[in-house]
Amino acid sequence: MNLKMGIKRNPVITSEMKIKMRGWRTALAVAAYLAVLLFIGFLYYLTFIESSYSYRNTVNAFQEMGIQLYSMLAVLQFSLLILITPAQTAGSISGEREKQTLDLLLSTKISSFGIIFGKLISSMSYVLLLIITSIPLFSLIFLFGGVTPGDMIKLFLFYIITVFSVGSIGIFFSTVFKRTVTSTVITYIVIFFLGLISVILGIYMIQAQVRGTGHLTNPRIPFILYINPAVGLADILTAEQGGVSQFLGYNIGTQTGLDFWIINSIVMMTIAAGLLYAGVKKINPIHRKKKRKKQA
Amino acid sequence: MLVIENLIKKYGDFTAVDNISLEIREGDIYGFVGPNGAGKTTTMRIAATLMEATSGTVLVDGIDVREDYLKVRGKIGYMPDFFGVYDNLKVDEYMDFYGSCYGLSRAEREKRTDELLELVNLRDKKDSYVDTLSRGMKQRLCLARSLIHNPELLILDEPASGMDPRARIEMKGILKTLKGMKKTILISSHILHELSELCTHIGIIERGKLVYSGEIQDIMRRITGRTILKIEVLSEREKALALFREQPLVEDIYGEENSFELSFSGSDEDMAELLRHLVLQGIPVKTFVKEEGSLEEVFMEVTREYELENGN
Repeated sequence: MNLKMGIKRNPVITSEMKIKMRGWRTALAVAAYLAVLLFIGFLYYLTFIESSYSYRNTVNAFQEMGIQLYSMLAVLQFSLLILITPAQTAGSISGEREKQTLDLLLSTKISSFGIIFGKLISSMSYVLLLIITSIPLFSLIFLFGGVTPGDMIKLFLFYIITVFSVGSIGIFFSTVFKRTVTSTVITYIVIFFLGLISVILGIYMIQAQVRGTGHLTNPRIPFILYINPAVGLADILTAEQGGVSQFLGYNIGTQTGLDFWIINSIVMMTIAAGLLYAGVKKINPIHRKKKRKKQA
Repeated sequence: MLVIENLIKKYGDFTAVDNISLEIREGDIYGFVGPNGAGKTTTMRIAATLMEATSGTVLVDGIDVREDYLKVRGKIGYMPDFFGVYDNLKVDEYMDFYGSCYGLSRAEREKRTDELLELVNLRDKKDSYVDTLSRGMKQRLCLARSLIHNPELLILDEPASGMDPRARIEMKGILKTLKGMKKTILISSHILHELSELCTHIGIIERGKLVYSGEIQDIMRRITGRTILKIEVLSEREKALALFREQPLVEDIYGEENSFELSFSGSDEDMAELLRHLVLQGIPVKTFVKEEGSLEEVFMEVTREYELENGN
């Protein structure tokens, strides 16, 4: 793979960024995104103030509100990112096919890896822009207390990993399907079902263990849950209360002793790397690259 | 520059390219002729590293396209029959993007962009968005794009398809300039007349098989075996006719008023001698033209021969 054209000199990234950032569309999209976060956050704040009128001026009340507001915004941003990212990546290669520009790109010296990587980074950078512009909004929560900068760094790092993983699913399907509509629909369906099925199966597996003996015979989190970033997010947001073990209702731990969200991130990134590799193989027209050995 | 040996491409039971072998030397302009679905595009795509062959070898400047395809891509410029352009990208940015894809430095990209936009007459469109260009302009831009890295071999699949007559003439002019620059070109076209003016060699492909490959003059000679002379006189028609009948190298005479078409089997020197005789006889010659055989005629003849041989 031509790593020289990886990130530093990747023309796909430069060109895509130029096309995406040109005009008012991106600026408007960012503004709309922030407006949604701000509006819902403000509504939540008003509701909280109304419902806890009697002790609203105590330090504890502000801290509680800070934590709840932070959790709500974190979940809201996570949901929006899960919705936006596939739309950005699922048409990246199929769109090139539809526009009849993929052959032109493949006939140049840029490798298939360079194309896939460039497409992923340029699509991700748009989503990263949304994440970065939301930082000042999240920082307002510090005024209420209850949330540390460390919590926020952990959350934003997890967002980036989630966007990378979900984006890779979109990229992979865009290499498999010729039409962007098909690729996008399949990506959303797969993400939705993976999210839903992994939780249902995970809970079922824990319940099945409990049902037999009344307690967990092998008190470990089922592996299927590690593919689900929503569970990772829950782990981060409930860290103070013991993380995902509490969230699932049982005092169970991860296989390695590491925090759930860390293993979750590693698993998701491994799957993403596998999907990207499959995508690279899929668009490369020459599969059998043979090196002729020089005759001695 | 390009060697294709025993190339076969199959899609299931269907054989799109059936054991094709050909060689294109440096500076040759090789015209690929054949009906739709004959296997021209498939062969060109395999040579352009955009498709894998079922079997056979394709070498570009001695490098196997499967062995080091990235190196091969640096040596070829490819223009497909159908292509699109990016929205929201200006002409110079489009060229710059593809220049970057070939790893050219910024200075090289700027220099080549200026030179090539000049070559394809798009210099004044440098700041225009590519999606606003006419089809002919887009075709010329795509040709310029395929030349950005100064490739040794150009693979042009129907470069003038869908163009209006004016745009075709402009494209032909650019291709003649490239011929003058000693570029090696593999070009396919349905407009055989255009190829006959441009190409040094042709390959005729029919149902995946290469039924003829060689120098264009050889095949003209092989099929027609003679030269057609078109002569027009201002007067003295009968005198001219009598003179033609006396010439042993004149095989057939077709005359209409003061115009004649002679089937002539002599050399260029014999032709000059015939003209000298006409002038010495005091016949006022208005035109004296050697007519090349038509490539359409050649194509029909070769494919007919092939069909007869194969019992179709």
